[in-house]
Amino acid sequence: MKRGKMLLVALGVVVAVIDLLPLALILKQAFTPDKESFAWPPTWLPHQLTAENFRGLQSAIRLDQGLWLSVFVALLTVASSLALALPAAWVAAQRPRLDRPLDAAMIVTRLFPSIALAVPLAALFVHLRLYNNPAGLGLWLAHTLLGIPFAFLILRNGLRSVPLELEEAARLDGASALGTFWRITLPLVRPSLAAAGILVFLVSWDEFAYALLLQVTNRSLPPLLYYLAAFGYPGMASAVAAIMLVPALCIILVLEPALRSGVLSGSGR
Amino acid sequence: MSPPREAEPIPERSGGQRSWLAAPLLLYLGLFLVYPTLYAVKLAFTDALTGDFPSGANFQLLWHDRLFWRAAAGNIVLPLLSVALELTLGLALAVFLAARFPGRRLLRAVVIVPFALPEIVFLTVMRYVFAPRGYANAALLAAGLGPVDWLLPGRVLTFLTVVAVDAWHVTPVVFLMLLAALSAIPEEISEAAELDGARGIARFAFITLPLLRPALIAAVILRGLDALRVFATPLVLTGVEGVPVLSTYAYHQWSDYGNDGAAAAAATLLALLSVVATLPLLRRRVAA
Repeated sequence: MKRGKMLLVALGVVVAVIDLLPLALILKQAFTPDKESFAWPPTWLPHQLTAENFRGLQSAIRLDQGLWLSVFVALLTVASSLALALPAAWVAAQRPRLDRPLDAAMIVTRLFPSIALAVPLAALFVHLRLYNNPAGLGLWLAHTLLGIPFAFLILRNGLRSVPLELEEAARLDGASALGTFWRITLPLVRPSLAAAGILVFLVSWDEFAYALLLQVTNRSLPPLLYYLAAFGYPGMASAVAAIMLVPALCIILVLEPALRSGVLSGSGR
Repeated sequence: MSPPREAEPIPERSGGQRSWLAAPLLLYLGLFLVYPTLYAVKLAFTDALTGDFPSGANFQLLWHDRLFWRAAAGNIVLPLLSVALELTLGLALAVFLAARFPGRRLLRAVVIVPFALPEIVFLTVMRYVFAPRGYANAALLAAGLGPVDWLLPGRVLTFLTVVAVDAWHVTPVVFLMLLAALSAIPEEISEAAELDGARGIARFAFITLPLLRPALIAAVILRGLDALRVFATPLVLTGVEGVPVLSTYAYHQWSDYGNDGAAAAAATLLALLSVVATLPLLRRRVAA
């Protein structure tokens, strides 16, 4: 019995090392000079700590522009996804007959391959001046498509759990349907709104394929990272990677319950 | 397993006919999902040189391109291998972390970390791990073994490296789905099995696994559909020719040759493949 436990703990340590290794290597490369990353064999632990890689980013790739673009697009995407999904989710929560087709549309939207849309969108956006748009407006429109299914599923499930009696009581007291929604229902689903907003922010922040195809020179962080790594700057690439981690790791606490309930994997119920 | 929630109809709520509230969302899907898809089909059937429509020129180009056939085959084999590996690892992790031992709670959080990393961040590290002078070869060296070429184009090992990296990143999703199902198995069932003398592997194969079936099926469907549109993993690790799939092939035609027509043709085939693969899932849910 005792030996069995020891074995489990040992296995646990191996699993933990494997799962933490990628994170540890990014941080190590981000905070050590390039010569440690280029050494053979490469160093596993940092010998010399430096913030040089982060300082070099501004002159090498105009970091501020990429950072601003990523944040701006992600925030706009949160706003548009929630605004489009909330009314539809309310209808779906109230009327099962409308929920079925909406639910199916969300599944198709979520599973549609990005590249299959990015190619025609790039061609269409050229005419609308949205292709490679300096403010990332084309990317925003594409990301909204990714955000909608997550926002819809989370909001609909949240709205469903609002007790009918509360709404009915408000209606009997003379509140209009919209008034009831605004003053009774919406405050009750604030946690769902927050969860949906956070998730959609991360979806946009992490997204790579649309960003690569639609922002060919006005790049957001993911394509900047891709090209930095491709052109052989391990230190600066890892520094951008470390910056990209900040919101993701802050939010993992919120994300984990969402994952557990199956929302992120699309099962939704 | 799953509670029969759908069995009893959810009561229609008051609020009258407000179906128009779904209109903005549907309009958006029409403008940015349906219309571009139709436009891609039109591009795919338009001859880029002569402007003829309809024309099979783009599909003819694909037919005679060896890279396209490698991409089409890769788009079948890569998802199959990835899903098989992820399911195996996810199940092993779920069973392991359902056991009681010190540090289990912490480990459950640690196991999620790879998936919490943005995809491009994870893939960038993997590039350094599997580079010729990377960390994987350094580990082999320390173990007294020679270096391995993990990512040379067109080799089986390269394929397996891409599968392993994909599994490393997304196994946590499968793990969470299976762990939830595993925790939902009532204690009495395990106890009854124990009393009946079912132990170890027999208990796992005849009691646990059948009870996990719905969760396993759900994981296969969702991961499989995700894996069909794999893009960044092969692109970042091997470029467009190392382990080609349909999406990297479309990207290659679009970005390296500026051939919108051929890119749209490959993209349309991928979209068709995805939608057809989604149909069983839709039918399950509508029937539910």
